[in-house]
Amino acid sequence: MSKKGIADYVRETQVWKSIFRHGPPNNARNRAAVVAGNVFLHLHPIKLKKSGVQLGYTWCMGGLSFFVFLALTVTGVLLMFYYRPTAEYAFNDIIALREHVPLGIMREIHRWGAHLMVITVWLHMFRVFMTGSYKPPREFNWGVGVILLVLTLLLSFTGYLLPWDQLAIWAIAVGSNMAKATPFLGHGGPGAALAQIGDFVMVSDKNDVRFQLLAGRFVGEPALLRFYILHCVFIPLVVGVLIAIHFWRVRKDGGISAPL
Amino acid sequence: MKQFVNIVADPIYSFPITCVLYYYMLKYYKFFGSKKFAWTVTLIAIPVFLIMMADPNFYLIITWPDNIPITILIVAVSFFTWYSIHKAAINDTRQEEGEVPVEATPENREKVWCWPNLVYTEMFAIIAGTVFLIVWAIVFKAPLEEPANPTWAPNPAKAPWYFLGLQEMLVYFDPWMAGVVLPGVIVVGLIAIPYIDTNPKGNGYFCFNDRKFAISSFLFGWLVLWLYLIIVGTFLRGPNWTFYGPFEYWDFHKVVAEYNVNLSEFLWIKFLGTAMPSNILVREALGIVLSLGYMFGLPPLLAKTSFFKELISKIGMIRYYITIVLFLLMFSLPIKMVLRWAFSLKYIVALPEWELNL
Amino acid sequence: MSEVRKHLNRREFFSALTVGWAAFAAASAGLLSLAFRFSYPNVNFEPEMDFVAGLPEDYEEGVDERWKNGFGVWMVKQEGKLVAFSNICTHLGCIPNWQPTDLKFKCPCHGSGFYMNGINFEGPAPRPLERYKISLNTEGKIVVDKTKVYRYEKGQWDHPDSFLEV
Repeated sequence: MSKKGIADYVRETQVWKSIFRHGPPNNARNRAAVVAGNVFLHLHPIKLKKSGVQLGYTWCMGGLSFFVFLALTVTGVLLMFYYRPTAEYAFNDIIALREHVPLGIMREIHRWGAHLMVITVWLHMFRVFMTGSYKPPREFNWGVGVILLVLTLLLSFTGYLLPWDQLAIWAIAVGSNMAKATPFLGHGGPGAALAQIGDFVMVSDKNDVRFQLLAGRFVGEPALLRFYILHCVFIPLVVGVLIAIHFWRVRKDGGISAPL
Repeated sequence: MKQFVNIVADPIYSFPITCVLYYYMLKYYKFFGSKKFAWTVTLIAIPVFLIMMADPNFYLIITWPDNIPITILIVAVSFFTWYSIHKAAINDTRQEEGEVPVEATPENREKVWCWPNLVYTEMFAIIAGTVFLIVWAIVFKAPLEEPANPTWAPNPAKAPWYFLGLQEMLVYFDPWMAGVVLPGVIVVGLIAIPYIDTNPKGNGYFCFNDRKFAISSFLFGWLVLWLYLIIVGTFLRGPNWTFYGPFEYWDFHKVVAEYNVNLSEFLWIKFLGTAMPSNILVREALGIVLSLGYMFGLPPLLAKTSFFKELISKIGMIRYYITIVLFLLMFSLPIKMVLRWAFSLKYIVALPEWELNL
Repeated sequence: MSEVRKHLNRREFFSALTVGWAAFAAASAGLLSLAFRFSYPNVNFEPEMDFVAGLPEDYEEGVDERWKNGFGVWMVKQEGKLVAFSNICTHLGCIPNWQPTDLKFKCPCHGSGFYMNGINFEGPAPRPLERYKISLNTEGKIVVDKTKVYRYEKGQWDHPDSFLEV
């Protein structure tokens, strides 16, 4: 019991002890306690196979995807303070985000982050394939991952419309016109011409899947609002749920894959 | 030299070249996965890239803000493809010598504490990711064009870069195939992979020898069909979706004579020398028979070949049929590309009356 | 309680369960279809679908782009006929540009090309441009009605409403 440092003094206060219920993680007991007792860290197992922490094996692409998703959530919420999803304001608000706001790079972080997330998700999947990690018992989690990949692309795609510039609406016009060509469900797709009784057209541009996506016959203000809601609320919620399932199953299927 | 690159970059030449390179990459994967190869290629690539950047047209297309992720993607994918092959080559050599893969050695099977091993790695990844994003955001402005104008389409009008592979497919397929059916098949096919690949080897370590068929078909779809098409769609498609070489000026008036002919026109007008029959099903009969034969006739026929007989004995009939249908759909794209270049074939089945073109 | 349970034998119990599940499934389906229907508004505020396009004498031989920006229509006068073409590419709905030097409509998205008479001849477009209904009102002015579409491959271009004799 030599001289006590200020750190030791802080560690002994009631406030510190009420937050951290264990000593510093420098022995086995406390290392277990810090991971098991923290709501964020308890996603992890307390101990794990060495290959599961090696960057050479995991590339950390799954972790980075999740990190970028969180970064996008934070920057996205910040952007929502200034952005109004109407044809009249949307474009000007995007300019205001650059010109009238201190540190006007929030939109840049959000946009580049979106691109980065697509890349990291692809590379994560690439790694999982190359190590054969989709094999039993992880088949189901691979499927969840594929759905998450699709949702990542949809998130990015719905966000692409929001700046409401030429780049945005024409990219979405091209993309959403593919929905028009859905067999049987789109008015420009195969099968729609057959679903016709006399003069009554069953699948028309007013009731097909593209109309549901755009809330109109072309990319207009209702589409902007619809994409905004999909982008900011609906898809992130679904992604959040699926990420929870994905992480849970990584643990339940035996952690990060390793040779059997 | 630039002229030559401009010509060779055209998908007519660059797609077969990519396929051949891909074949040799896998055939000599141990050489490809060596450090010597990686250093040589890197040392050649950097000056070549710098020389290319000196060209104003190339500079323009590379620095266009939404194309930057693709440059990052190309670098990252090249590195990680090499890296995974590198690790696979090491493990294969070890297994040939009777050793276990690196991941299966006792020291790697050992368990380590999550804190600090994993937590610190994650912390480092978070900091690196944050720095990377902020630097990227400061250096490059996010693109913003003129306000939306629904009555005037910019030229060229491109989808977001990760969909440009699909947009490039639209050159060869109708939207219902390129935009709906094939993407759907990609998603379903990806989900199906663990259920049709019953090979128990290669679980949890890098390897190539143990799962040659799985890895070479996945990499073909991922590198050649998906990424190659994205690169073509991004860098080599200019106004009017016409092909432009990487050093070519985007001249809006570049005229490309392109007259594509349907299979039915080949059959009735050029071959039989008669008028097109008025009954649309008779008119397209050949194309319909060919397409149905491709999708439903080929699988049972292929099942008779020795290669697939062996596969069936391993995975069973149901898995075989799912696999083969997925493969046929995947190869419909290169087949259609080759037919387009070789015969200017537009559609095999052309039924615009029903919006059904193949 | 035990008396009640006595009367509920296994078969009855399962039939009750079946009814219960069926009711639950029906309720869920009902709610989902309500949510689905909710995504289709009854009214939408898109631009008018028909417009008055002046007198037939206003148009010269060739392609006229004056209604392109407001209504998405090209008026094409050729061989004694005046027709109203939709300016939406039949491939993926981009807006082609009229190129007077090459005498063709060229789509910037995927390179589809159409002759002045609307027939597709290059690129991936699967069919010709669509014609809108065109007629004269009582004042002798042209009325273009975009709700009615005439398609070449269906043989509808012979329909008297699909062109105007001038």
